Amino acid sequence: MSEYAGGGYAKGGYAGQILYVDLTSGQIEKKPLDMDFARKHIGGMGFGTRIYLDLIKNNPQFDPLSAENPFIVMTGPLTGLKMNGVARWTVCAKSPLTGYWGDSNVGGFFGAYLKFAGYDGIVITGKAAAPSYLFINNDTVEIRSAAPYWGMDVYTVTDRLKADLKPETQKAGQVLAIGPAGENGIRFASLINNKGHAAGRTGLGAVWGSKNLKAIFVSGTGKINVACPEKLDALRAELKEVYEESIGISAIHAAGTATHMDVGIISGDIPIKNWQQTEWDDIDDIGPAEIEEKIFAGHKTCYGCSVACKKNAEVKDGPFKMEKGPGPEYETIATFGTMCLNSSIESIAKANEICNRCGMDTITCGSTIAFAIECFENGLISEKDTEGIALTWGNAEAIVQMVEKIAKQEGFGAILGLGSQKAAEKIGGNAADFLTTVKGLEAPMHDPRSAHGYGLAYAISPRGACHEASLTFEAEGGMIYIPEIPELSADLPEGSDERAQLNVVAQDYGMFFSNCAIFCNLGGMPLNATQAINMVNFVTGFDYSLDEILSIGRRIWYLKRGMTNLFGARAQDDRLPKRLMTVLDEGPTQGSQPDMDKMLSEFYALRDFDVRGLPTRQVLESVGLPELAALLHG
Amino acid sequence: MGMFKSAEEFETVIVGFFNLIGETPVIADKLLKSKMIIRFIYTDPDLVVVVDCSGDKAETRAHDTETKAIVEMSMSADVAHRFWFGMVNLTKALTRKEMVAKGPIPKVLKLLPAIKPSYAMYPQYLEANGYGQYNITKSYTPPAG
Repeated sequence: MSEYAGGGYAKGGYAGQILYVDLTSGQIEKKPLDMDFARKHIGGMGFGTRIYLDLIKNNPQFDPLSAENPFIVMTGPLTGLKMNGVARWTVCAKSPLTGYWGDSNVGGFFGAYLKFAGYDGIVITGKAAAPSYLFINNDTVEIRSAAPYWGMDVYTVTDRLKADLKPETQKAGQVLAIGPAGENGIRFASLINNKGHAAGRTGLGAVWGSKNLKAIFVSGTGKINVACPEKLDALRAELKEVYEESIGISAIHAAGTATHMDVGIISGDIPIKNWQQTEWDDIDDIGPAEIEEKIFAGHKTCYGCSVACKKNAEVKDGPFKMEKGPGPEYETIATFGTMCLNSSIESIAKANEICNRCGMDTITCGSTIAFAIECFENGLISEKDTEGIALTWGNAEAIVQMVEKIAKQEGFGAILGLGSQKAAEKIGGNAADFLTTVKGLEAPMHDPRSAHGYGLAYAISPRGACHEASLTFEAEGGMIYIPEIPELSADLPEGSDERAQLNVVAQDYGMFFSNCAIFCNLGGMPLNATQAINMVNFVTGFDYSLDEILSIGRRIWYLKRGMTNLFGARAQDDRLPKRLMTVLDEGPTQGSQPDMDKMLSEFYALRDFDVRGLPTRQVLESVGLPELAALLHG
Repeated sequence: MGMFKSAEEFETVIVGFFNLIGETPVIADKLLKSKMIIRFIYTDPDLVVVVDCSGDKAETRAHDTETKAIVEMSMSADVAHRFWFGMVNLTKALTRKEMVAKGPIPKVLKLLPAIKPSYAMYPQYLEANGYGQYNITKSYTPPAG
């Protein structure tokens, strides 16, 4: 951090210091947040990615499950404010699932509480000698033994830590924890706050497990200053009407992200039977109406957000009985439901609960099981491999049993715990034909054959197939409308034309919006650019313009892309798997195939990539990343 | 200037289609279960149509401005026309206010799966009833026989 030294105090928004914890030595250091650094990187992934590069630049080749892999938690300048769609925070490290750049964007309460304790983020290095947890109570920061908690599931350790530490703190605390999956090195292990807010993608829970870090408990009594409170109040008043009029907000408030089951099926956006279909007679059985009737158990929300898009679930009896707790969201319903031809919403809720308790990403877990079902149905594996489980399409009991086996690393579950790409190598034959991964990360539940820009977004996302690595999904899918930016308000023609330019701008603006600022892509969807930038300016006291935030976003995007390149990704990795490129004979996407060659060629030109898929030295230097240019080009 | 030459012609086309939907059990049964009353307010050309599913059968009434609707949907006739071909990105149309909805929208969204079969029916209906000039699907194949 020395190059950013200079001190300075936040006018508003920021807590003003970053916590550095070295688990090997036990050293804990609090460093003031440099305001020049804050201005140049805004927060969240902007802070995290830059600090990460500085930490690893002298030795970028290391095992993600080694002590050499730093882990960074970062909030944004808006995190902790009582406003819609700003509760989010970010984590990053090298991914144990893919071997490339890994990051995740989370809601919930942990980020807000971390700022109330006085920290914008935590940088964790090294490895503890024995199971540990980090205790943060305002100025008191301690590495403590987690021996009593190791082996506990996420729900149990969350409740226990809150109860055990309550006498030591003035205010109730928040827990960010891993479950047995992270402890056991499952490659898609997640970190979970408050039982249901998951940093799910790219397996960063396993990084904690490798560091012997079970949890972070945080409690704080501070508050977040606002630089221009009167202007912010006026903006709040303006936004009240905007939110009341937003159909999207109304829909996700009522039914959560599951509302997409009703909307996505029309355009062929929902992958069915491991991406082999876009239509299915039983889809209504796992849609919002059935969810409301069979498992709905109340609304949930993140800190300060009235959108309340999260839903609790409860299954009162039967084989999938589960107590009231966080319910499945759209991606989970699709991976364990439509992808597996599983029409039992109760079993999907149960699979979700197991993933939450054990700390596993539901997208990778469900997609890997759908992949395994296809292997089973095609004779590549049998009941001999699965210890008697008939892993067939629609077999709800078998799906839940396999989730449990993965969580416990039992038998075939240990192979699937590697994620689908590595499991395909173990299974052999033509198993790779059934993969849905880009750079080792299973694709989310939005079909690029229904919107070609998604295909390019998945191919060039730094962390692998991802619909939230930019705002392409939101823009092309129609959730956002940003009139200040022509590419994010254009009426695009059908097909693959103009998608490269869309992706570039959606990356630049997306880095500002949902990576650095950090707005929620759901709770923040009604905001235009003027409102979003004004909010950041009124809170921080900075005077960002649209041009400046796009310029910062561009630099952060190149930084993330460069990190994945540094970890070995090249042009051949910027490809969609065969399964996602297979043309379907019927349904809403009949005959549609993204023109990947065209979109990639245009994108490479716009981003100034060389044939290896590396950003050129010139472009990296022009956006202010000379160290990254030197690392990639010598 | 929209696609339809007159309000009368649009009324004939759209009311006829709504009546067909109301007589198609696979769709109508689910609509009736919802008890929904929707008022569609169309522009270019202007037309108001109420689809009333509160009784024993689905009723479609043009020019009904009196019935208290649960939901009101406003859009141009062209957007409505494209919607019934399944060609409108509903999310985008609502975000960009090409469709404006008032009332408990989640209840309407829940009906989307129910009306999905109607997208395939619309071009067939147009062709079968002498409105082939409005069939904008390229791949339309007349039904056998």
